[in-house]
Amino acid sequence: MNHHPGFDYIALCAYALIGILVVAFVLLAFRDVGRLRTGIFRSWAIGRTTIAEAWNARIWAIVPIWFLICLIISLLVRPYSAASQVEIYLTILLRAQLVMLLVYLGILACVSLPRERERRTLITTGSKPISRLELLLGKVIGICAAGLAMLVLMTAITWGFMAVINMHIEHDAAVLYAHEKRSYNSLVRRIPPEPGIRYTAQHGVLQAQNYYTGTLRIAGLINYQTNPPERALKGGSSETLYFDFPSLPAQFVSPPVFLFRFVVLRMNTGAKPNTPAQQAAMLQPVKIHVTAVLRDNPMMTAQQSLTLNPSGTVEWRPKQWTNFFSLYEPATGQLYDPGPVLLKVTCPTLGAYLFFGDGTQAQPAACLALNLDRSRVPAGMMIPKPDPVITGFKSNNKQEIVGPSYSHPGIPAEVASFEFAHLPDRRIPIGKHGNFTVHLFLSVDKQENEALPAIADITAFTLADPTHPIRMQLRFAEKHLTVLKLPKSLLDQSPLVINIQSNYPGHWIKLTQNSVQIVRPPSPFIVNLAKSEFIIFCEMVLLVVIGVTASTRLGWPVAMLTTMVCYVLGNLFHFVYKLMILGGFGLYGPYIDSKMKGLWYYQIGSFITAVMVKMLYALVRLMPDFTRFDPLHDIVISRNLPWIVPTVDAGWTLACALPILALGYLLLRKQELA
Amino acid sequence: MVAEFAAIETRDLTKIYPGFWKSQQVQALTNLNLRVRQGEIFGLLGPNGSGKTTAIKLLLGLINATSGEALVMGQQAGDQDTRRRLGYLPEESYLYRFLNARQTMDFYARLFNMNRSQRRQAVDYYLDFVGLDPAVRGRRIGTYSKGQTRRVALAQALLNNPDLVIMDEPTSGLDPVGMLEIKNMILRLKAAGKTVLLSSHQLADVEDVCDRLVILYRGRVELEGALNDLLEVKDVFQLEARRVSPELQAKLVEMTKAGGAEDIQTGRPRVRLEDLFKRLVDAKRRGEPMAVSTRR
Repeated sequence: MNHHPGFDYIALCAYALIGILVVAFVLLAFRDVGRLRTGIFRSWAIGRTTIAEAWNARIWAIVPIWFLICLIISLLVRPYSAASQVEIYLTILLRAQLVMLLVYLGILACVSLPRERERRTLITTGSKPISRLELLLGKVIGICAAGLAMLVLMTAITWGFMAVINMHIEHDAAVLYAHEKRSYNSLVRRIPPEPGIRYTAQHGVLQAQNYYTGTLRIAGLINYQTNPPERALKGGSSETLYFDFPSLPAQFVSPPVFLFRFVVLRMNTGAKPNTPAQQAAMLQPVKIHVTAVLRDNPMMTAQQSLTLNPSGTVEWRPKQWTNFFSLYEPATGQLYDPGPVLLKVTCPTLGAYLFFGDGTQAQPAACLALNLDRSRVPAGMMIPKPDPVITGFKSNNKQEIVGPSYSHPGIPAEVASFEFAHLPDRRIPIGKHGNFTVHLFLSVDKQENEALPAIADITAFTLADPTHPIRMQLRFAEKHLTVLKLPKSLLDQSPLVINIQSNYPGHWIKLTQNSVQIVRPPSPFIVNLAKSEFIIFCEMVLLVVIGVTASTRLGWPVAMLTTMVCYVLGNLFHFVYKLMILGGFGLYGPYIDSKMKGLWYYQIGSFITAVMVKMLYALVRLMPDFTRFDPLHDIVISRNLPWIVPTVDAGWTLACALPILALGYLLLRKQELA
Repeated sequence: MVAEFAAIETRDLTKIYPGFWKSQQVQALTNLNLRVRQGEIFGLLGPNGSGKTTAIKLLLGLINATSGEALVMGQQAGDQDTRRRLGYLPEESYLYRFLNARQTMDFYARLFNMNRSQRRQAVDYYLDFVGLDPAVRGRRIGTYSKGQTRRVALAQALLNNPDLVIMDEPTSGLDPVGMLEIKNMILRLKAAGKTVLLSSHQLADVEDVCDRLVILYRGRVELEGALNDLLEVKDVFQLEARRVSPELQAKLVEMTKAGGAEDIQTGRPRVRLEDLFKRLVDAKRRGEPMAVSTRR
């Protein structure tokens, strides 16, 4: 078999070319910096004056105003539990910091230079031996330093506030645990006290746990009423169906083009047409959005929106593979095996339910690679078929696994399988009994058997020895941390698998990608909070650089507008990307009658819309992506942030800020200061 | 013969401020040819809109010339190295209102890459030099009187001990005593070998201190030369003497008439009001009564 080298030369060349162009632009813009003997000393002098200006403009007022707003919101919001209390307060405090600092510093960045021009202080400063770059850098440094000072103050206040909240939570948990223990000891209560509550009473909820998370896969069946069973993909949701091809037998493909057929067993386009949207959805052809990724080279992707025909099938020929990805050698007519291929399928059509078979039984496979010349396939050779997996039922980023069925007791319940590959055991603390700790964050939706406790069946094994698993039933507390101890023998070199199943019928266990965590030594909350604040700082720096650059030539109102547009576009990256994928009037798919699509004005409108969306996408691609790093997510969920995130963010910020600064310098270089 | 070194030299320097339409363009300076010798005080005169400030901004590199060339201390105007040897006092004191005098001076000293001790020394020295009251040095400039602000502006212009000082309306906003002090200061700068380019509407100031001057009108040079050559009235003779009795006065007039002189005028010279005012303030500062005297 001829394996494709697994390397996307054209994409690589395109990225390299863009990189070279950006670097060349930066070098060109800064070409005279060496001659000007640009120094940080003079920039810092400008920066100090800018800090004084910011102080004079009462930047310090941000801190009390921010805290007051946070206090008011915190008093208005009633948290559901101790864990959510911390989540809510951290979200309020950090989000308010982000918004207030970005707004204030954005304004300051846009105003500072034009105001110097208006007040003519730039004339006196410009008569001194200072280069324009030092002036530009000084402004950026000064505003960022002022922002950083405020951020440090806010961080200290946030830490203090959360410490007070944590003390209350610890105290409440200790009281509750003592009460439950007393009740249990005196036989008033039959259930022993929650270990999670004791953990909270001892350690609080604020300490940042370091942990390893695994890869979550949900296996099992959803629809027990049909035989053979089916999995449903919900349209308009974030549910994703995965087809994993171990390889594509390129040598048997004729003509040399890859072709995939997607087969849907049944389609349901909306149960009850109660609303106009549902009525429209019933009339709509059902779309699926397919993305193919080469596992050997994740940069090589192909994607397409496809419309299922009434029989529930559609074929897809990923054109990019022969053109852009160079899997096809025209000179020899040779097609390369791209190696393992992952197809992701989502359904954007609202109200549609697509039922797929699992491909392992007598029913037709859900996805096939076609164009195989069977006459060339050697007798007895198995053509690989993919195993479809849905990670689905997402609600608030949570996924559910259902318990065993009364009606089909022989069919096993759904299994959430967490796989931990390459665990470096020296970083995992082992207790005095030779166990390591696993934290579980599970909750349960009891649709039946409400009176029964929430119990999860846990199976843990290593892939090197799957025949000797450790099994246990674990009672877990809703919305609380559940602690699980496993023997250190599981931490050998092979991957560790922890499976979770629901024990009772009607109990749906909700979990997320991070629900099972192998605990590493904890790190102080303040350190992780500082990492989150650093991400806010990086975002701030980027906005300040944009603001100062915009104000080099523009008056402050236009500079402010420009900066705002850049920030908004930088936040819309994913939204615009989705718009572009859907394209044209396809955006309004559920609401447009299919007959309209043949009409000339629909087609013209669709074309114009598609062009505009693509132009918007091109514009958005020029902006730094402000959504790339979320300062809130990790700290709010787990009070933890891996070091890699702020490190990469710093590099990313620098990479974005340098070309923008270069542009600012080019604009200011020949600008008249008086 | 060694060529005379020019501190400032311009060749056909022209500046046109662009407008959206051609009719909105403003020709601020037209083919300015200037040569300021090192060590002299050079006056740049002209009515409002004559291009004095534009010429100065061009020399500082704050704005770009439309055509022509300007050399300052032998290097291109606006060059960073040139600006190290140059001090500039703008026509208004464009200073940060939220800084105090010390912070302002410290800021500008940092722009000259001075270290901490150099900065401290220079700041105190030049604030003393311009006579800023030590009691107000810690106050924000926004609270200063115009004269105090002007002194700080002057101090920042001298901070780097420049070889060339460009002063645009240096005495504006100052009281007569301050004006006189500034003029004395300019003369002291000259004595120290510095070159001063002075632009002013106060013709008396220019007359008192300048060696040479140029008069601009609508961006063009209309008159240029040494002050004495320009102001000397060639056909009038003047005699001043003390202890001249009325009889001697009459005799002198008679003699002059007999010699064929015309338009003979006699009288007593007057002291300048500026001198009188200065003498009064000086006496009051010393706590002494001032005897009104007509003695010069």
